[in-house]
Amino acid sequence: MAIKRLFVANRGEIALRVVKAAQALNIETVVAVSDADWESAAAKMADRAVVLGPASAAKSYLDPRLVVHAARESGCDGLHPGYGFLSERAILPRLCEDHGIAFVGPRPDVIEALGDKLQARAMASAAGVPLVPGSENIASGADARREGDRIGYPVLLKAAAGGGGRGMVIANNGDEAEAGFQRASAEAEAAFGDGTMFMERFVPEARHVEVQLMGDGQGKVLHFGERDCSVQRRYQKLIEEAPCAAMSDELRAKLHKSAIDLAASVNYRNAGTAEFLFDVQRQEFYFIEVNARIQVEHPVSEMISSFDLVQEQIRIAGGAGLSVGQDDVVLSGHAIECRINAEDAARDFAPSPGRITRWDAPTGEGIRLDSHMAEGAMIPPFYDSMVGKLIAHGKDRAEAIDRLVGAIDDFVIEGVPTTLGLQRAIATHPDFVANTIHTRWLEQVVLPQFGKDAA
Amino acid sequence: MADSALPENLRYLIEEFNRSGLRELHIRRGDFELLLSHTDHAPSAPAASRRPASPSPQQAPQAQAPAAPPPAEQIADGLPEGTVAVVAPNLGTFYRSPKPGAAPYVEVGQRVEQGAELCLIEVMKLFTTVRSEVSGTVEAVLVEDTAMVEAGQALFAVRAD
Repeated sequence: MAIKRLFVANRGEIALRVVKAAQALNIETVVAVSDADWESAAAKMADRAVVLGPASAAKSYLDPRLVVHAARESGCDGLHPGYGFLSERAILPRLCEDHGIAFVGPRPDVIEALGDKLQARAMASAAGVPLVPGSENIASGADARREGDRIGYPVLLKAAAGGGGRGMVIANNGDEAEAGFQRASAEAEAAFGDGTMFMERFVPEARHVEVQLMGDGQGKVLHFGERDCSVQRRYQKLIEEAPCAAMSDELRAKLHKSAIDLAASVNYRNAGTAEFLFDVQRQEFYFIEVNARIQVEHPVSEMISSFDLVQEQIRIAGGAGLSVGQDDVVLSGHAIECRINAEDAARDFAPSPGRITRWDAPTGEGIRLDSHMAEGAMIPPFYDSMVGKLIAHGKDRAEAIDRLVGAIDDFVIEGVPTTLGLQRAIATHPDFVANTIHTRWLEQVVLPQFGKDAA
Repeated sequence: MADSALPENLRYLIEEFNRSGLRELHIRRGDFELLLSHTDHAPSAPAASRRPASPSPQQAPQAQAPAAPPPAEQIADGLPEGTVAVVAPNLGTFYRSPKPGAAPYVEVGQRVEQGAELCLIEVMKLFTTVRSEVSGTVEAVLVEDTAMVEAGQALFAVRAD
C-alpha cells in the first residue's frame, strides 16, 4: 500500500532531501527533530515537525522506541531512516513492522546478516563475489611464509582476535612474513590473550569503488552504476565520483554483476551499496561490505542516471516494486560530489560548529547542491559537521572537474571555517586530474602540503 | 583541562548543561572558548524548551511551516503569570494517572511538594515519571490525557510557594 504520511527519522541535508522526495510524490511528511534542530530546514519544509527529546542524539535520534512511538502517534504509515543514526539497526524495521509502519529500507534480518562482517563475507563468497585473497588461521612463522608465498606479497598479517590496527603487520616477502608473525603474534597474545593470526593480500594503492543497488525484495535487483570514493581522510570519504574512470568496461560489467548477484541472493529490498576494494594494478576487485541504506554520495549516481533514488526508495517501501528495468537505467556523463564540512583545516580539521553568517551558493549548468544550510542557519555542536554536498555533472570527467572547481570558486560561506579550500586543492591537483589517486593519496600526498603553500 | 580529555569533558558538560535547566553556559579559558545555549539565537533569546507545541496528533499535518519562535514574553503568556512550567523530558504519550481508570496524580488546585509525581510519559510501554521541581500549587494542566507530547512541551503550570 502506497505510503501516505512519511516519518523522517534523521536530520541535516538528508532529512531535507527525503522531505523533498516525499513531496514530489504527494506524500505528507513528519520530521523528527531534537531540541537543537526544531528550526531546521527540514522541519520548516515538512508538514509537521515533532521534538523527540534533548539535543543529545542518544536521547533523540538514536532511540528507536522513541522514534517509532513518534511515528505511530503522528499517524505515519512509512518511515525513512536516512543514513547514519538508526539506519542500519535491525531494531528499527522490527519495531516498524510491529506497529504497521512501512520501513524504507531492507528487511531487518538482511540488515543484521550484512552488518556482521563474517556473515557478509560468507554470503558474498556463496554468491561467487571475489574476496581479498587470504588465509585460514596461521599458527607459526613457517605457516606465515608458506601462506604469504601462495597469496602473493605484500600481505597484511592480522590478529584473529584483534581490532583497531593492533597486532597488524605488513610483510613484503617471506622473511618479513616469518619475522612479522613472531612479533605480531606475541603482541596479539599480550593484547588480546590470543596469538592466532591470519593473512590477507595487502593492496598498497587501492581504490574504493562501490555499486549502487536497488532491489524489490523479491530477488530482482538493479544497479545504477558504480562510484569511486578514493579521496579519503581517516576512512572518511571527501570526494565521490561516478563512474569509476579508472576501470575498464569489461571489469565494470563484472563488478556490477557481482554486486547484483550478492544482493539478489538475499532478495535484497530497497537501496543499498556494495563496497569493493579495487586493485588497479592487478585489475581485480574484492568485496568489502554492504551498506544497507541510502548513502551520502547517492547524488552522483542520480546525476549520471537521471533517476531519483530516494523517490524510488519510498515507492518500493510502499509496495510498488521497481519502476524500471535495468535497460531503462542509462548512464551518461560524469559526476563528482564534494562534501563540505564545517571544519577548521588549520586545527587538524576540528569540527567548527556555529552560525552561518553568509551563504552564497553557486548555480550553473550541471551544478547541484544538497544542503540544509542558509544564511543565519545554525550548525549545532552535537552532530556531524557536514553543511552540504556540492555536485557537478559534465559530459566527461574533465568537464565535471571544471564545473566543480568553478562552483567551489563561486561558493561563499562565512561564519564558520569549511573544507571548501581543501576540496579546491584536491580537485585542481594534477594527480586528481590525471586520476592516478588511491585511498591513501590524500593523506600521503595532499595533506602534508596543504596549507603550507598558502602560508 | 587536558586536551586529550576534552571530548569526554565536553560531552559531560553538555549533558550536565542539558540537565541543569540553565539557558546558557559560556566558558573561556585561554584559547578555548565554549558557548552552550538552548537559545537558537543570539544570547538571551527565548529558550527552545519554551517553544509552542506543534499540532496534536489528532490533527492532520498541515501544509505550512511552523511559526517562528515567539519572543520570551509571549511564550510566558501560555502560563498563568508567576507560575513555572513542568515540561516533558522527551516525546511520548502523556498520562495523568498511574493506570487506566485510576485517579490522576494531581488535580488543579492541589498542593505538591518538590519531587511529587505529576504524570507519566510513555514511550513504547516504557514509562517515565515526571516530578515537580518545586513545592507549590498546580494551577493548570496544559495537555489532554493520552495526548502525544513533545520534548520540552509544557505539561503543568505550578505556582511555587
